[in-house]
Amino acid sequence: MMEIYVLVKQVPDPEAMIKVKSDSELEIENKYFTNFFDEIAIETGLKLREKLGGKVTVLTVDNKRVDALRRGIAMSADDAIQITDPALEGSDQFAIARALAAYLKDKPFDLILAGRQAMDDDSGIVGPAVAELLGIPHVNTITSLEIDDPKKEVRVMREVEGGKEILSCPLPALFTCQKGLNNPRIPQVMNVMKAMKAQIKKVNLAALGLSAVDVGGQAVKIKVQKYLAPPKRPPVKMIKEDFPENVKALVKLLKEEAKVI
Amino acid sequence: MSNEIWVFAEQQEGKVRKVTFQLLSAGVEFSKKTNQPVGVVLLGNDLQEAVKSLTPFSDKIYLVDDPALVSYTSDAYLNHMAPLIKEHQPSVLLGGATSTGKDLFPRLAMHLQTGYAPDCTGLTIEENGKLVAKRPLYGGKVFAEIVFSEARPQMATVRNNTFLINENLKKSAEVISIPSHTDPAALKKKIVGLEKAAGTKLDITEAEMVVAAGRGIKAPENFKIMEDLADALNASVGTTRATVDEGWRDLKDQIGKSGKNISAKLYMAFGISGAIHHILGIGTCKTVVAVDTDPNALIFNYADYGIVGDLFQIVPALTEELKKASAEK
Repeated sequence: MMEIYVLVKQVPDPEAMIKVKSDSELEIENKYFTNFFDEIAIETGLKLREKLGGKVTVLTVDNKRVDALRRGIAMSADDAIQITDPALEGSDQFAIARALAAYLKDKPFDLILAGRQAMDDDSGIVGPAVAELLGIPHVNTITSLEIDDPKKEVRVMREVEGGKEILSCPLPALFTCQKGLNNPRIPQVMNVMKAMKAQIKKVNLAALGLSAVDVGGQAVKIKVQKYLAPPKRPPVKMIKEDFPENVKALVKLLKEEAKVI
Repeated sequence: MSNEIWVFAEQQEGKVRKVTFQLLSAGVEFSKKTNQPVGVVLLGNDLQEAVKSLTPFSDKIYLVDDPALVSYTSDAYLNHMAPLIKEHQPSVLLGGATSTGKDLFPRLAMHLQTGYAPDCTGLTIEENGKLVAKRPLYGGKVFAEIVFSEARPQMATVRNNTFLINENLKKSAEVISIPSHTDPAALKKKIVGLEKAAGTKLDITEAEMVVAAGRGIKAPENFKIMEDLADALNASVGTTRATVDEGWRDLKDQIGKSGKNISAKLYMAFGISGAIHHILGIGTCKTVVAVDTDPNALIFNYADYGIVGDLFQIVPALTEELKKASAEK
């Protein structure tokens, strides 16, 4: 039996239009999906439950969006928890980690899973930071996980530059999940309907023993000073000569104009 | 002395990674402005060569040499980094946005209760020592300038090839040996194996030159022409999500949102239409070349040079032309 928690987040879809509105504000098209890597994490949890029995709980810190939790339930997670509190507004990733760890610290977890990173701020901070606060080992960006007995060491593989590392690690532990670990299931329509109506448990800061100074704008360690549009490339120079003159022209440009070869 | 600018050195089998020298070169520039010494923290085993290579790039080398540190694990490394930082209180700590840096830095920052900006593509420093980190958000659709609270050190991981290595540095670092206190029995995580990737090519995140093909290459065996081109250019071969999902290429070579972001000096895309997922992974490449049969392919909107043409014709000809060019040198 395994007690598994999966940290999830609803993020703008990669196709969503995102623009700088002002120095301090972005315009984000209202097109959201469950973070791609988090779905892999949910699937990992569900597969382990099928193999070893137990329970999968999805967990998010979000005042507005609970769709990632509903996605988890539709995929067949057992339980869903939303940590929500007005004081959480303006939190950085470290404060989010603090809220998650405060919820998890007295839970009987064997395994905590998260995505490699959220596809919005692309930070990859929350997973390792939660592990640090809970005092458990973590391994980032795993591409395989073998658990035969939760009481024994488990094996994970992760990608490093120039190869793959295989590590052994005792549970409880936290792993962040990378593409390649599995293909997340597409929930059946019936389950999606059921998830729409499912009860989401709400937890506020007081229930976690945290106060407003632990999270939110007062606690930030990093903040955005200014949003910037991405650097723009000059218009493309199309090489119009016929083959093979176009290849020669390209090499000349790379050498003499771009000076990169 | 306190308030140094530190770089976390990354090494593999005693050889220091390029990104470390890139960050030290930046650190030395910063130090001219802030008048702070530059230190590098080097953990591992059998590090004489590494120390030698780092000596011209820094004022101090904080060295922990221990067989238990031969490979990176977050617990062993954190156990050394945290007390060292608390003792010396550097104002800045930089590392590569690599598999190691992205594993160690967030945990270390949480431990130290300090700020950390991940995966940066630019850094500047003010005279008062305040760091401003530039980093992409939403996969590079927008960028943000990040500033830090009063907590120190200001931590950041930085992408490969964001800074150039300054080969003209002639410092002669003082080596400060730190006794190791690793108890191997107390370490929770152990590395039990390492599968080395085939070949000797650099990871696509580290390579200065990257050439890539997508589904337009039609079959996995056709990547041979890309390998040949890569050899002529001393480049690494990348690819798109589609070919990885087909099982044609390894995930480690995937460029884009669910793969890797690259900051190559030269990136050449062949038979890649330019899905937003892919485009987001090449935003910080210096020069981009696109070759595709479709004149309306989106990739041309994100390239510096474009050729409408057939990759099966262009790639081998380009390989020959580049071989000729390098023979002339």
